[in-house]
Amino acid sequence: MKKDNLKQFYKEFPSNPDARVKALKSILEKEGLIDQKALDEILDTYQNKVGPLNGAKIVAKAWTNKKFKEDLLNNTDQVLKDMDLNGRQGEHVVVVENTETVHNLIVCTLCSCYPWPLLGLPPSWYKSDAYRSRAVREPRAVLSDFDVKLPISKKIKVWDSTAEIRYLVLPQQPPGSKGLRENELVSWVTRDSMIGTGFPKPPTGE
Amino acid sequence: MSKAHDMGGRLDSRRIDIKSSNVKFKADWEKEVFAITLALGFSSLWNLDRSRYARESLEPKDYLQFGYFEKWLAGLINLLGENGIIKDGQEKGGNFKKSSFRILEAKNVKKLLNMGGPTKRESTTEKKFNLGETVSVRANNSNTKVEKGHTRLPDYVKGRTGKVIAYHGNHVFPDTNAHFLGENPEALYSVEFKSQDLWDKCEYFEDTVVVDLWESYIEKFK
Repeated sequence: MKKDNLKQFYKEFPSNPDARVKALKSILEKEGLIDQKALDEILDTYQNKVGPLNGAKIVAKAWTNKKFKEDLLNNTDQVLKDMDLNGRQGEHVVVVENTETVHNLIVCTLCSCYPWPLLGLPPSWYKSDAYRSRAVREPRAVLSDFDVKLPISKKIKVWDSTAEIRYLVLPQQPPGSKGLRENELVSWVTRDSMIGTGFPKPPTGE
Repeated sequence: MSKAHDMGGRLDSRRIDIKSSNVKFKADWEKEVFAITLALGFSSLWNLDRSRYARESLEPKDYLQFGYFEKWLAGLINLLGENGIIKDGQEKGGNFKKSSFRILEAKNVKKLLNMGGPTKRESTTEKKFNLGETVSVRANNSNTKVEKGHTRLPDYVKGRTGKVIAYHGNHVFPDTNAHFLGENPEALYSVEFKSQDLWDKCEYFEDTVVVDLWESYIEKFK
């Protein structure tokens, strides 16, 4: 059997993370291995351009357009590609639909895999040990931390993102939003409703 | 005893802290770590599986104490170390060949992020399992090629029985790719387990857990 011992170089660096990253960055700059403009562009992308609004638009469209919904569920990668919503950490996506009898919940127990192009970067709790440990064993207790109560008639299906498939929950459309147009529905779709830790709700301020 | 990062089903009495759930970065250094890690991910010196392995291989005590981006930072330093880019300290890495390092330029960021790193490959062999088929997960979830190597087979499903509910085509096999032993694409399936088959006490008998598993992680149910 082969061995592969990755040495712990990080221990030679300052332990304070701020000082640690500064020390690393100065080495990379000295070697000319990073381009600050590229770093700025990456941050701008994930801080300002990519976020849960992308997912919300898809959900609102699926609620109002049957043909689109069928395509989204059955031909997901092509649909997302056509909408320019694929890409890093969303190369292979599966959309799972909540129904009267099934509620879906997404987790990554081994790290923190999350559909970046559709939801942006994950919230802190998604990356926490508590969520990663508990979501598969006691999803109902986890949901109660989010004030989400499910009727016992609903089965919970927890999806553990162990491979490069990224999951998005298609939540049920709330009865109070029936009849609204696609663009009005977008603001009902919360980030958590697309992870399975929440439900869509009326936009605040209404 | 599962490895530190393999957390699924571990007993944990902490509540989920949903406060400040919209904060992407808690400090500027986290932004730096995020951007540098992504940029160097395009350097061609390693792959996504290797970077996961680097994070998982931190000292278990550190893995459990570090925040999310501290793990990224330490993992990244180890990857740079093994490539000879970091030469400080007592640990000496390999010899750095700058010519093989691809520097990410600003003009390529959008294109490369949109491209991502698809892991699906052409299928050259016939898949072994059918939709609806009952399968058993290997009893041992250790990497079979590399001692204490990387795997994406979580501890909590080893030896358990479930049903194949989806087939995703052939995907790069992390257990070899993380150690530069080739992509060796394998059929990838979603396998659904009844919660009551996974846990002593389950909340509701109809609840299930679905795990994505490569073909060599599972066996025919006997």
